[in-house]
Amino acid sequence: MNGVLIDRKDVEAFLIDEASYLNDGKFSEWLELFTEDAWYWIPSNKDNYDPNTHVSIIYDNKERLGERVWRLQSGLAYGQEPQSRTRHLISNIKVLDQDDQSITVSSNFMIVELRRSIQTIYSGRFEHKLRINGNAWKIASKKIELINNNEFIGNLSFLL
Amino acid sequence: MKLTMGTVNISDLVREGAVHGDVYTDEAIFQIEMRKIFENTWVYVAHESEIANSGDYKTTVIGSNPLIVTRDSDTDEIHVVLNRCRHRAATVCQQEQGNANYFRCAYHGWTYSNNGDLTGMPFQDGYDEKFDRCKMGLIKVPRVGVYQGFIFASLSEDVPSLEEHLGHARKYIDYVVNTGPDGIALNAGVHKYSFDGNWKLQVENTIDPYHLSVTHRSFFNLIANKTGKKINFSKMHKNEKIRDLGNGHSLYELDGDLGIGALPFNLIIFPNLGFVGSQVRVTRPISVNKTHVSLYPIMLKGVSVEENANRLRKHEGFYGPAGFGTVDDLEVGFDRVMEGLNAKANGAEWLEISRGMNREEIDEDGIITATSSDEVSARALYKEWRRLMTKE
Repeated sequence: MNGVLIDRKDVEAFLIDEASYLNDGKFSEWLELFTEDAWYWIPSNKDNYDPNTHVSIIYDNKERLGERVWRLQSGLAYGQEPQSRTRHLISNIKVLDQDDQSITVSSNFMIVELRRSIQTIYSGRFEHKLRINGNAWKIASKKIELINNNEFIGNLSFLL
Repeated sequence: MKLTMGTVNISDLVREGAVHGDVYTDEAIFQIEMRKIFENTWVYVAHESEIANSGDYKTTVIGSNPLIVTRDSDTDEIHVVLNRCRHRAATVCQQEQGNANYFRCAYHGWTYSNNGDLTGMPFQDGYDEKFDRCKMGLIKVPRVGVYQGFIFASLSEDVPSLEEHLGHARKYIDYVVNTGPDGIALNAGVHKYSFDGNWKLQVENTIDPYHLSVTHRSFFNLIANKTGKKINFSKMHKNEKIRDLGNGHSLYELDGDLGIGALPFNLIIFPNLGFVGSQVRVTRPISVNKTHVSLYPIMLKGVSVEENANRLRKHEGFYGPAGFGTVDDLEVGFDRVMEGLNAKANGAEWLEISRGMNREEIDEDGIITATSSDEVSARALYKEWRRLMTKE
């Protein structure tokens, strides 16, 4: 994860590494990717709005994201017992904005989740804002626009 | 008509302190519930804030019946009509919410005003004088009532007034509405989730504090780590009360703040409405083993954006498809129960709801009370369930 991102290829490598942490169950390492002022957002019902006036599926600051990870590792998070197995496929990567401190990246995803013998496909668009932090890049925000965010969806206790 | 399931009589599925597993798994019982319960009592359909302006509408369902709730463009009156074209049955309105003076069926073009009246169709020939256009409007739901902004409808004419139906639950709805200086609004979107289980599991789980310290232990451990204060659940349950308010409604009075919402109580309005935490909860039966749940955060009118934002964050912490509480209920309270219900051999069919029957108290209004680890709420639910399911 070290080094300065300079082009789309580096961004892609970062996103793939992030997804590997999730798919391999390395949640503490994943959490470490986020800046202290980061937010992790899954909008509800629609993709764009002010989260102060509209409910979200998740609108975590770093503290709550830490609690989310703590809970998943507590052995008491029944929503993840049995645990989801996931594979994140990421494509259509596009740099939306960039300056010498940060980069905003849009990507499309398909997440296949296996849990309780049922395979479920979640798809949508990620928007990552990455920021340089010392000699590493960190996630300042991650927004997950699920295409089914206005549907009645199932147990989303795994990490997207 | 005597309703029987094979050799089992429906009235035998609820015993004192126990319910039979078939009430959660039997397809025929589900179909009877749709007719005898959902089409025979008041069901919540919308909040006034969702159809605030003339011409606003919202689509919803009662049982299996798709409906449109509209605010009349001319009179501002509220109408509840079946979302089914009188010609060949297509739904005439597709959106969840919107504003329209007319609903035009896209199949053959029959057009209805937003009070349900048929206003016309393409090619007026082909119907003679025997065709009475006045009788061909969208079918109106016969009873519509509004209590404190909450709109209810009944598909049966033969129900008591809404006020009478809500009965002892009314003052708690009053309380909810008065939590905002200028009232409340349900205008902050909705959490929607689904599970492969029977609808009554979610309704029962709405007032079941007995499970809090077990299923949600990780959540309360988190709160304890943060605040340094560990909840003594044994003591809490002794201080807290659950009340059977009559007509299937029940109430759970909290002892202080559990960290999951703003209201000092959970309230169930039979059959499928709840007031929980900071939310209005609607539980919709889809099939015997499929349920949709909608959580509408209650926003206060007349307070700062920040205060409402804090309510949203607290709500999201416990509730919704990724909330720390809901997901554990989905697994333990619903998925595992549905799985366990498959075990029917050797007399395993019954579920216990008897806890605290030995310490119930009944006051002069007939309100039954026991402590918050007791199953007063489930007993209240099944008393009304049995009454409606066996009503001739």
